[in-house]
Amino acid sequence: MNLALYRHMMQLHLKIFLGFGIGSAVYVSLITSLFPLLDDNMAQIDDMMKMLPDGMMRALGMESISNYGQFISAEYYGLFYLLILGVFSVMVAIQLVARLVDRGSMAYLLSTRVSRTAVIVTQMLVLISGQLVIHVLTFAGGALAARFLIDTERIALTEFFQINAVGFCLFLAISGYSFLISCLFNDEKNAFAVAGGVTFLFYGMNMMGKIVTKIDWIRHFTPFSRYEPGKIASGEGDVLVSVVILGLIGLLSYGLAIFFFRKRNLPL
Amino acid sequence: MINIENLTQQFSSGKGIFGVTINVEEGEVFGFLGPNGSGKSTTIRHLMGYMKPQHGRATIKGLDTWVNQSEARSHVGYLPGEMAFLDGMTGLSFLNMMAGMQETHNPSRRAELIRKLQFDPDIPIRKMSKGMKQKVGIVATFMHDPAIYILDEPTSGLDPLMQHVFIELVLEEKARGKTFLMSSHSFAEIERTCDRAAIIRDGKIVATKNIHELQTMQRKSFNVTLGDEVAVEALLSSALTTKRMDERTVRVDLQGNYDLLIQTLGSYHVKNISADDQSLEQIFMDYYDQEEAES
Repeated sequence: MNLALYRHMMQLHLKIFLGFGIGSAVYVSLITSLFPLLDDNMAQIDDMMKMLPDGMMRALGMESISNYGQFISAEYYGLFYLLILGVFSVMVAIQLVARLVDRGSMAYLLSTRVSRTAVIVTQMLVLISGQLVIHVLTFAGGALAARFLIDTERIALTEFFQINAVGFCLFLAISGYSFLISCLFNDEKNAFAVAGGVTFLFYGMNMMGKIVTKIDWIRHFTPFSRYEPGKIASGEGDVLVSVVILGLIGLLSYGLAIFFFRKRNLPL
Repeated sequence: MINIENLTQQFSSGKGIFGVTINVEEGEVFGFLGPNGSGKSTTIRHLMGYMKPQHGRATIKGLDTWVNQSEARSHVGYLPGEMAFLDGMTGLSFLNMMAGMQETHNPSRRAELIRKLQFDPDIPIRKMSKGMKQKVGIVATFMHDPAIYILDEPTSGLDPLMQHVFIELVLEEKARGKTFLMSSHSFAEIERTCDRAAIIRDGKIVATKNIHELQTMQRKSFNVTLGDEVAVEALLSSALTTKRMDERTVRVDLQGNYDLLIQTLGSYHVKNISADDQSLEQIFMDYYDQEEAES
């Protein structure tokens, strides 16, 4: 990697990173501070939830709300979080490579002694740093809200941390293939359409598999199947396996992205 | 210093470059002339290692520009043909980033360049005019004092005054023994700086000549307004290629034979002489006509 490029790229994208990160942190801390209100009536709410269709509950990751982890999964990590981070991953992955190639700015980045490998590894680290910033802020938001805003012993920080860790790995995988796509296309719009389309397709397949139990197998073809915040919260999820599998998908995608970017002709 | 041997790259559209061969010696300023879309930028992209040659190769200081692209680039100051900077940066932060990547900070040289080109580097690039952006690009290209300059249409966007400043800058660097490869579609720009030039058309080099040969080959037209009818008759009956434009004005086409015009007009009263600017396209046409006439 190249430090000068990394520093300036981080400066350039810091607003987006902090925007998404602080937004996510504020949302999580707000939801967290609502938890005691529900906690007092947990049994009734759980009963009420059981009246809703099973498929819908599974789709939104709200099989049961009996502790903090399950509550926060249902209220944030099951839906909003996926949308926000999904948009972020695809958007920034495209901005960091395909947009620069499409607009020709990449010519400047590749006009010095810094090699293609160093440039693309730096761009990759900027993307991963961005996701790290968002996840650290989100976790800090939840943890600080739990510590200072509310008065309860029922916030399980370990599970909350695990949800964030698996989430980070999920988006390592998603940003990985988006970055790979970003490295393959000359046209920013095409790259965005393909990366966004693939992500949306995966998300849709995961939803379908959850709603229609007969085609549950379809979920195994998407990275989303390894991310089940509700199960992690109730202690059923296999966090380590998820982290390893999602991490490997991410590493493989980023590795391929570097490989192809080094070999290809650039229309600069 | 720069060797391009039989370089070929054909795109799926059928266009491309075919068997391009160019050798630029150390300390030479080499012009690369051709109309838009003739293959100038494609050739330069190979020198920067952005494309893998289908046939042939390009080297800079003996380094293959595809295999050893970053080593080859470390000797080069490159000005891209398109001014596409990163959004959201000021001129200064862009220059800082480039200096960091070039790994040679030379603040006094940079300040001197900014002073010469007269622009404010603290303005966000997004708000800069075309000419200002080109100046930022020129500073980024020259500030690390490279041995070789590769410039793709360097004066596009600059006003005539700044074009002059830029030409001075090139001549200064040339005096310091630097090597240049400079593409252009303007003959005037090449004429003032280059020792030799290659003309490219439809992806093929059609001529590589020294600049004086190109100048004599170039046809120039002058509109001469004379004092009386006797003078007009004398000019029309001379060996020059002439055409009567109106009562007292004659157009004379010259191709190297300037002396004859001066001698013919010597004994008459001349009211006005104005030169018609000849476009590069016209030079090409002249060149091709000549080729065909000779073959």
